[in-house]
Amino acid sequence: MTGAQSPAAPASTGERLYRWLDARFGLGRLVEFARHKEVPVGGHSMVWYYLGGATLFFFTVQLASGVLLLMYYQAGEQTSYESIRYITTKVPFGWLVRSIHCWSAHLMIVALVVHMFSTMMLKAYRRPRELTWLTGFVLFAIALGFGFSGYLLPWNELAFFATAVGTDSVKSVPVIGQWLLEVMRGGPDVTINTLYRFFALHVVILPLVMVAVVSTHLLFIQVQGMAKPMAHQAPSRPGLRFFPDFLLRDLLLWLVCLIVLSVLVYLLPYGPGIPGMEWELGKKANPLAPAYPGIKPEWYFLWVYQLLKEFPAHLFGMEGPQAALLVVTVLMGIWALVPWLDRRAAKGLPSPMFTDLAIAAIIFMAYLTLKAWDIGGKSADPSKLPDARATAWTCAWIVLGVSSAIAVLRILAYRQRWMFFSGAALLQVVLNGVFGVDYLIAGAVALVVVIAGVVLTSRKSPAARLEAPR
Amino acid sequence: MTAPVAQSSKPERRSVLNWLLGAGVIGWAASILYPTLRFLRPLGSVGAGGPLKLTAEDVATLGKSHFVIARAGTRKVIVFEAGGELRALDAKCTHEGCTVQFVPGDSLVWCACHNGKFDLDGRVLSGPPPRPLTKWVATRDGDQVTLTMETA
Repeated sequence: MTGAQSPAAPASTGERLYRWLDARFGLGRLVEFARHKEVPVGGHSMVWYYLGGATLFFFTVQLASGVLLLMYYQAGEQTSYESIRYITTKVPFGWLVRSIHCWSAHLMIVALVVHMFSTMMLKAYRRPRELTWLTGFVLFAIALGFGFSGYLLPWNELAFFATAVGTDSVKSVPVIGQWLLEVMRGGPDVTINTLYRFFALHVVILPLVMVAVVSTHLLFIQVQGMAKPMAHQAPSRPGLRFFPDFLLRDLLLWLVCLIVLSVLVYLLPYGPGIPGMEWELGKKANPLAPAYPGIKPEWYFLWVYQLLKEFPAHLFGMEGPQAALLVVTVLMGIWALVPWLDRRAAKGLPSPMFTDLAIAAIIFMAYLTLKAWDIGGKSADPSKLPDARATAWTCAWIVLGVSSAIAVLRILAYRQRWMFFSGAALLQVVLNGVFGVDYLIAGAVALVVVIAGVVLTSRKSPAARLEAPR
Repeated sequence: MTAPVAQSSKPERRSVLNWLLGAGVIGWAASILYPTLRFLRPLGSVGAGGPLKLTAEDVATLGKSHFVIARAGTRKVIVFEAGGELRALDAKCTHEGCTVQFVPGDSLVWCACHNGKFDLDGRVLSGPPPRPLTKWVATRDGDQVTLTMETA
């Protein structure tokens, strides 16, 4: 334009657009932030930093495939089941879109759970990232809410009873239980009114809340940066540049996720046939039909389902389901408050107790889940009920075998010594599965061991505790 | 002398205003929350009222399948024939609300969801159900079956 600027090459359209935007929105600050953004390196594998991104990828797939399904799905007593059948049998690639939605939902939960457990074991929740953990926990709860509400939408038999059981549990909530039950169901029983409410929840309310909480979760991570490995685990090293080095690796993983999803969708369009992981439409829901044998919820709810079976009719003046759900609520509460409970990690000290808590949680849930699948107890005659004793025996040995191998690995490779929680969880499994002791009595014995372990450890000198890494 | 008086009255006026503002916000929130909560709770349904008659289709199913589940107002009732006697119980399991079924071979009422078992009078035999199933009185008059809730 002026003579002074003429020697410089003319600015490209992109550059001019950038300058135009920069003058108005101060993009320079964002670019500067991005240039300095780094991912910590060292201490532990980089793999654990990619799982949040993988979860986000599957959530994006859910949003896209969900919007496509909405083009044909019609909520209604005479239309819900029929429209899903129409989508999967008549609409071009309808089976593909539905299968992507189902598979991606399961993979999202898998990625989320692995992300959560890796955060737990690496103590990435420690000060100052308590709220990042808490928002992550809320996201986990919302994801389960998505699974639960979406389950009813095909309006088939399985959906009907899974919703009947799941919503019935709500009445155990003190004071507002009955109110909450009727609000969730749109009446005292599961009817088409329940489906209308779940539909609104699944396609409007939960996505809005999810996007808001995901944004908060990501904002916290941007402000605080990704958690560095614990000080005692590795010396600080220069980080990996987020743009473009980490982002390109992230994109590569997303591509891998897409390929895995495509292969599963193409080869197993109706799920792998594992109870809780199959989406054949089956029969249309009939509120006047009895529940059929072998009915089970989604795989990630199986441990709660089995826990409901293990509790007796009454316990400590409460009805069985009430007591079972109280236990689940307390366990979930402890899990949500881990950053505040783990005082050692907050100070940057090794915290083997909480690493072991995560392992114990896995053992606890794995045993119940395997039992819920009736592994080892199924009869050749499908009309006969599975043998609960044989199931417990087989599942206990599987859990014992895998847990022992993991314990050896922890001792040899990671020099971990603190194993009271996982030991107690395993003791409950052995007492119940191998020796046939009642599940709750076995649990009480395990609880005594845990208390003894915590008391004994806390009496040791701080120096002795520091011996155990992580 | 006047300055300290002005200083001491200022925070008081401010706190009154803050209090009024706070009360206004609470009132505003309540005026949104209360109607929303009332809107969410569905209207109550009308109960069975009087004796319930099974339809001809239900009676035919009863003959074929040994049991039938019928709606009685907001409740579901299972009607079955055992030992030549017509019986009826609430069909909703007292554990987690699944619908029960009659197993003629074992002469019991069974819930498939969590393996709860009841005897023919609705008493809990085994499994996690905390309470018995409510008993109904089923009477047959020719081709007609009438159900009435058993009074304690």
